[in-house]
Amino acid sequence: MTAGVYVAAELVWPTIDWGLPALSFGRLRTAHTTLVLFGFGVSALIGTAFYSVQRTSHVRLFAPGLAWAVFYAWQAAIVLGAVSILAGWNAGKEYAELEWPFDLAITAAWVGFAIVFFGTIAKRKVDAIYISNWFYGALIIVVAMLHIVNSLALPVTAGKSYSLFAGAQDAVVQWWYGHNAVGFLLTGGFLGMLYYFLPKQSEQPIWSYRLSIIAFWAFVYTYIWAGPHHLHYHAVPEWLQSLGMVMSLILLAPSWATLVNGIMTVSGAAGKLKTDPALKFIVLALAFYGLATFEGPMLAIKSVNVFSHFTEWTIGHVHSGALGWNALITFGTFYFLVPRLAGAPLYSARLANIHFWLALGGTILYALAMWGAGVSQGVLWLSLDELGEVRFSFNDVMAAMRPYYLLRFLAGLMFLAGAVLMAWNLARTVAGRRTILVAPPAIVGAGAPA
Amino acid sequence: MPARFSILQIGKVLFAPGEVFNAIAAESPSAGRVFFRGALWLGLLPPLFAYFGTMEFGWRLGVEPVYLPQETVLAICVIYFAALLIGFLSSAIIARWMAATYDASQSLGRCLALMAIVGAPLAVGSIVHLYPHVFLNVLVLVPVLIWCMYLLYRGLPVVLGTGPNRGMLMASALIAYLLVALVSLLGIMVALWGSGIGPRIGT
Repeated sequence: MTAGVYVAAELVWPTIDWGLPALSFGRLRTAHTTLVLFGFGVSALIGTAFYSVQRTSHVRLFAPGLAWAVFYAWQAAIVLGAVSILAGWNAGKEYAELEWPFDLAITAAWVGFAIVFFGTIAKRKVDAIYISNWFYGALIIVVAMLHIVNSLALPVTAGKSYSLFAGAQDAVVQWWYGHNAVGFLLTGGFLGMLYYFLPKQSEQPIWSYRLSIIAFWAFVYTYIWAGPHHLHYHAVPEWLQSLGMVMSLILLAPSWATLVNGIMTVSGAAGKLKTDPALKFIVLALAFYGLATFEGPMLAIKSVNVFSHFTEWTIGHVHSGALGWNALITFGTFYFLVPRLAGAPLYSARLANIHFWLALGGTILYALAMWGAGVSQGVLWLSLDELGEVRFSFNDVMAAMRPYYLLRFLAGLMFLAGAVLMAWNLARTVAGRRTILVAPPAIVGAGAPA
Repeated sequence: MPARFSILQIGKVLFAPGEVFNAIAAESPSAGRVFFRGALWLGLLPPLFAYFGTMEFGWRLGVEPVYLPQETVLAICVIYFAALLIGFLSSAIIARWMAATYDASQSLGRCLALMAIVGAPLAVGSIVHLYPHVFLNVLVLVPVLIWCMYLLYRGLPVVLGTGPNRGMLMASALIAYLLVALVSLLGIMVALWGSGIGPRIGT
């Protein structure tokens, strides 16, 4: 997040890279996306998957030693990977910039994750596999498939490889990977988190378990086709673009089925709001989930995309999802989980409330600044003069964006400040304590979240 | 006897929101009264301001202004008005639909009144459309929007007669819908631009 705030500042004051290649926008922005997606997002998913799979399967983790190895391997791969990006290694694929040695390391760690997770499911003590585990399972299988296919490359040296795909084929594979990373990691994976922690936190059963299963299969089937909407009006077949658009629109149905399920589940938990700061994060995360999963299909419509593509609107959309949905639900989960793991109450509920308002304000300000910038940019890119020529130069348009970039920088700073407060709050909560060990819960009813 | 619902009462929201919320809860105004005595006129403000601002100054996007022909500006403003009304009515209907889940009042009049009050600062704040510099509009309307959210969270439990906790949950669920409505407005807008109702762009 700090890297994100720094690159946001570089767009306002371009010389603050001080002439250092490692601090140049291209490298730092890549480090930002890699660290947030794989460092923050995937770490949160692996941690919560290991916790909830034990509770819902009523057994201890399969191969706990391997689980620790996954932890160390993952952290080492991401930290060293980020350093390699700052040093200029780059495989040239968006959101998959890590070079081949790191791709191999990630694959090994992921296989470990799969063995521990599915091993635990295999020795479960109840027949049903709880819905959160279906989402986590889909995350593991699909991300493995995407990562391996998209990263196929011919290594030349330790720090350089060339992709097996070229031209339009490369673009299609890239966005098949890119969009499904959004789908199965940032949406599906975090829905796994939602389906376990939302009922736990609100102390309510899921409003409709049947709906959650239907939504899961519809989601899994539809999402995998949506990638080509990143390539509207590009040199890929027209039918492929239309297919991507149609599947993106259909995707709204399963996404919102989950939204309704979440909102109805939490609607019975009014009494807990006062005492539980974590629940607020989850409630607002659902609102932003609703926004992001509506805005996505809308931006996939070709007549909207022709305008929004290559503008800040896309960046705003990504962040209303990443900050408003992924980060808020993760914060809510941390506030729920850390006190339970430490066997102590949260150090300060007041700080958590301040964090909530900083996170909410930062996300809204970010989205509004990028909507303003995106719509202006759309008009400016496409404006024609009397002769039918492009009316404004790239420089003119970028100069006009500066005030929005300043607003976005402030929004990012607010969000980051909230995250720092949380880190301090959680560190104080666990200070001087050891993680408590509890036995897996007794079976109270098949399939019920424990 | 509480004051009857009117546009004047909505004006009071700017100074004493608590009183207005209590008055509406006590009066439970009819849907027709809220719509014709308040919301309709408030909804006229943004398109009117936008019309005069655009005709006078053009759209200011940070470079030279973009001027549009009068008939295009008129068409945009009429569609803007229609979109605002549809947004307003649909939000009230959604609120009424949600009310059963949160043990809140299902009176359409109250739901409309709540939405009119929540939207009132935006309607008044849209005076900034008189100078259609986009960044200036963002700067002014962001704090106004935050104020609207505050009114929603504070007013909903009173106007719809539910507890503060349920009110908070219902307001959050409504925020989800309102965010979607807001982004729909953007989507509809650019789709219209692409079909010729808007600035001269090559698509």
